Amino acid sequence: MSTWLNHHLQAIKLVLSRMNANLLSTFMICLVIAVAMCLPSLFYLGVDNLSKLTNHMKSETEISLFLKLDVTSDNIAKIDSILAKNIAISQYHLVTKDDAWQQLQAKSKDNQNISSAIEQLGKNPLPDAFFIQAKSTDPETLETLRNTLQSIPGVEQAVLNADWAKRLATLLSIGKKLIFFITALLAIVLLVIIGNTVRMQILSQKDEIQVSYLIGATNSFIRMPFLYAGVFYGLLGGLLSVLMITGIIQTFNYSVMEISNLYSSDFSLNLLNIDLYLTIIGLAITIGWVGSYLAVTRAIGAIKIS
Amino acid sequence: MIQFDQVSKRYPGSDQILRNVSFSINAGEFVYITGHSGAGKSTLLKLIAATELPTSGTVLIAHQNVSKLKPSAIPFLRRRFGLIFQDHKLLYDRNCFENVILPLRINGVSEQEAAKRVRAALDKVGLLNKEKVMPITLSGGEQQRLAIARAVVSRPSILLADEPTGNLDASYAAEIMAIFQAFHQVGVTVIMSTHDALGMSVDQNRVLHLDHGELTENPFMQKTLNLNTAPTGSFSS
Repeated sequence: MSTWLNHHLQAIKLVLSRMNANLLSTFMICLVIAVAMCLPSLFYLGVDNLSKLTNHMKSETEISLFLKLDVTSDNIAKIDSILAKNIAISQYHLVTKDDAWQQLQAKSKDNQNISSAIEQLGKNPLPDAFFIQAKSTDPETLETLRNTLQSIPGVEQAVLNADWAKRLATLLSIGKKLIFFITALLAIVLLVIIGNTVRMQILSQKDEIQVSYLIGATNSFIRMPFLYAGVFYGLLGGLLSVLMITGIIQTFNYSVMEISNLYSSDFSLNLLNIDLYLTIIGLAITIGWVGSYLAVTRAIGAIKIS
Repeated sequence: MIQFDQVSKRYPGSDQILRNVSFSINAGEFVYITGHSGAGKSTLLKLIAATELPTSGTVLIAHQNVSKLKPSAIPFLRRRFGLIFQDHKLLYDRNCFENVILPLRINGVSEQEAAKRVRAALDKVGLLNKEKVMPITLSGGEQQRLAIARAVVSRPSILLADEPTGNLDASYAAEIMAIFQAFHQVGVTVIMSTHDALGMSVDQNRVLHLDHGELTENPFMQKTLNLNTAPTGSFSS
């Protein structure tokens, strides 16, 4: 047990002193990892915040429920109670035909053409209507909700203003797929880069490795410092990447807040996305470990034979 | 402790280096392996240290058949030995102390305990004052003594030395031999290959003589045989 612990401590010490001796190249490899991790993360943040933005604009995804013209106030009360029971609905309100008529007249007061056209109508042509906000913004859920509402007796038409939401959702899903592939491609690139860096280190330590084998070093003893090197590269690269992302978000946030102020919204990009940061660091460490493991296993085989 | 039974070794694309070599070495012996260069001395030592495996025959180290050991067990077998090479195989990117501590790091000895043992080993070979010196600045004899310190620091029961005095002049060589004798006196098994007649002066030590891969235990008989046949033949050709 203490042997095992000593091996690890020695390996960590050795790696840290090697890194300290080659500060610039260590920084370079960490920078490469950081930039490579940064790109898909920023893309992810963009997509993620866009989907949050859709939540912010809930009013846009409302269902308008137009009732039949001959509907009675009893009927309206019945529909009201049905809506109150539906758990998919977050809130709704009734606009009676008289209210709507007054609103229309008030709104068109300034416009001569429309107000004269309204006057010509003579009587109120508008139906009673419920305006409903669903809890979900998911297009499919909204569609089912719309169908349910449509089948309520006394409802003339249920209209879903979800076209743009649908389009956005499709775009976002394309974006998510893109993120996946970009991440995968960059992960492969990182594997190769880290693997190559570790391979160069192994070659520069060839004598030490050969002598160590002769005096009874096990494979895992030889491997350990290089695995730690990979892990540390990943860790430092991941941390650097988090730092860069925070900085970039911060600069974006100023402009985003300006824009959302214009729309009288308090929307801003989330600075503390712990899950994302942990994922970045975890992924970087894993890639570092795997990359150096592959390199060290190959190189050890070659050194042993020679 | 070490037992060779009908051991042959042939590298791919070369002649047979060792032919049907059989012998056994007991704990605490001091054994010379002699022979002309290319006779298979180094190969014999490599077979003992399990850096090479026999083509045929069995090599038993502490009752374990080396050919049948799992690859993962070989490092632990190797830790029984202290290896000394003709070319020292020191690491020139670190100081003497760091060179000697390497086997202890491999054994996972704690840093404090290791430091004590390294100083003890350096003291034994007379290099205690050169702890912080880089090996490249040492003389040939000092480098070999440093290599010996590295070999003995993990307190192995067997020392394997491949022509440790091969590159040294006589006075340095005598120093090195004295160190090996000292280790032998405290019970360490010493197996040393040498191509010169230095070992012959120490009569009580056993000699394994290799001639073109074949073993003769009595070097003096071999010498007389060679006197009768070999010189004339080799000079005329």
